[in-house]
Amino acid sequence: MIDVQNLSKDYILKKKEPGLKGAIKGLVMPVRTTMRAVNNLSFHIDTGEIVGFIGPNGAGKSTTIKMMSGILTPTEGRVLIDDIDISKHRKEAVKNIGVVFGQRSQLNWDLRLGESFELLKHIYQIDQKDYDRTIDDLDKILGIREIMDKPVRQMSLGQRMKGDLVAAMLHSPGVLFLDEPTIGLDVSAKYALRKFIKEINKVRKTTVILTTHDLGDIQELCERIIIINHGELMEDGNLNEIVDRIAPYKTLVVEYYDESAPEHVRCEMTEHKGNVAKYRFMKKDLTAAEIIADLSKEKTIKDVSIEETGIDDIIKIAYGT
Amino acid sequence: MKKYLYVVKTQIITSMAYEFNVYGNIIMQTIIMITSAYFWKALYKGRDMVGDVDADSMLTYVIMSSVLSVLLITNVERRIERSVDRGTVATDMMKPINIFGVYFAEDIGNILALFFQNMLPIILIGSLMIKVPAMADIRDLPLFIISVAESFLINWIIAALFGMMAFTAFNIDALIQVKKHLLRLLSGSIIPIWFFPPAVQKVLGSLPFVYIYQLPLSIYIGRGSRAEYLSGMKIQFLWLLGLSAVFFYVQSRVVRKVMVQGG
Repeated sequence: MIDVQNLSKDYILKKKEPGLKGAIKGLVMPVRTTMRAVNNLSFHIDTGEIVGFIGPNGAGKSTTIKMMSGILTPTEGRVLIDDIDISKHRKEAVKNIGVVFGQRSQLNWDLRLGESFELLKHIYQIDQKDYDRTIDDLDKILGIREIMDKPVRQMSLGQRMKGDLVAAMLHSPGVLFLDEPTIGLDVSAKYALRKFIKEINKVRKTTVILTTHDLGDIQELCERIIIINHGELMEDGNLNEIVDRIAPYKTLVVEYYDESAPEHVRCEMTEHKGNVAKYRFMKKDLTAAEIIADLSKEKTIKDVSIEETGIDDIIKIAYGT
Repeated sequence: MKKYLYVVKTQIITSMAYEFNVYGNIIMQTIIMITSAYFWKALYKGRDMVGDVDADSMLTYVIMSSVLSVLLITNVERRIERSVDRGTVATDMMKPINIFGVYFAEDIGNILALFFQNMLPIILIGSLMIKVPAMADIRDLPLFIISVAESFLINWIIAALFGMMAFTAFNIDALIQVKKHLLRLLSGSIIPIWFFPPAVQKVLGSLPFVYIYQLPLSIYIGRGSRAEYLSGMKIQFLWLLGLSAVFFYVQSRVVRKVMVQGG
């Protein structure tokens, strides 16, 4: 469905020197440097997948999404969506694409939400029957009808995001790109948004590609993640497999009645503070039950809990921090 | 085409919402009309004709200049600046519609809304307070309409070209103001250029600005012969062609630039 082949992007930056002298110099003889934002990315995404792009700020996620959605022309390489090269046949390809940028709205601020939708209906030449059906469908998930008559400028961030999502889905695109869609949203709005993504993916078989810093989004939605850092592909694969590979351990937290804590031969004690000790063990050769059994022979245990290695640990490791 | 008509319709709805702007412009145009009228009345004191025009025609010129100024309100510069600033240009360009077509349709919608809200009140105020601005020779009406349509297009293209400067990433607010006032001065909208020294007239005659205001207004008040109107409209049309060519060239470059550098 989506084929990304050797995608690279260079930005040309004008070097600005400080002060008036620098400003004049910059005007007369600008020093240009190129910066490689994305370097040689290749991957394939199938119809109906939800893929999460993760990486630190400035890693090249947004640039990649922009190139995949046809907003930016790649310096090298190409993006094929349903075998159409997006930068060559843009007009045709964009009809099958919906884009939502969390930090900018594509809705018209001066209009009521419904009027914005009507405008899009005409721009994409959606016929009334399809339009009504789409609105009905999306209303069931997002409750969009109650805010249809509200002017966009009076909307809360959560309402505007709902509006933007519906706007991006009006023409029933096969691919939906979401760039940090949950940024700044409260818990219930986030929940609604995740539900929406799951629903359109299930019901409409929409392929969803999203970037996010919200680990909850990733855990809830994505089976597959692509980790990008410094413009390069660091990891690409099933979320659980990546977690198992990068962090094949769990941590057992044990609370005792006093401050002394016994060691365990087959795992490492990573922390010992007051009455609490933490034991890190490899998932494949040990179970928490075994450790608890061993430890309780030596000392009376008050309480235990297990810390799963979360996606945030993976990211910490992958980002190299 | 239907898409663009819908944009026009939507813009009419939007424009209707800004009542304050509308009244502001009526008040401003009234002030300009009245002061100009007194100015010309003082200038014509004791004289019948100045520069082939009598006092009565000059007053018609003043009123129609204010009316025409409503038609020549453009929003495209600010629209481009705002969307570059907010970073929505890139997503706008994603849609299967030409963004400059959208900007044009929006300006048309805006003017249609202003027709009732602004143009008619100004004609009414002018008629009551100064005189009824009747056309000198009604048979020239088709010529007048065509030349107004062309001046609208020339004016819009100049505005769009200014707006596109926003893509090269600097603030164009001040520039828009300079352009606006320079245009009013050089186009003969406030003082017709036939009052300027012949050398200046010659220079201004070769620029596109006088074809925005002065040419259609001259036709309206009947200054000159039909042959003169037609030769003026010929130059006007050539300007329209030339500026359109520049516009389409710059437009394609701008789109490419946005695609390469990102919004």
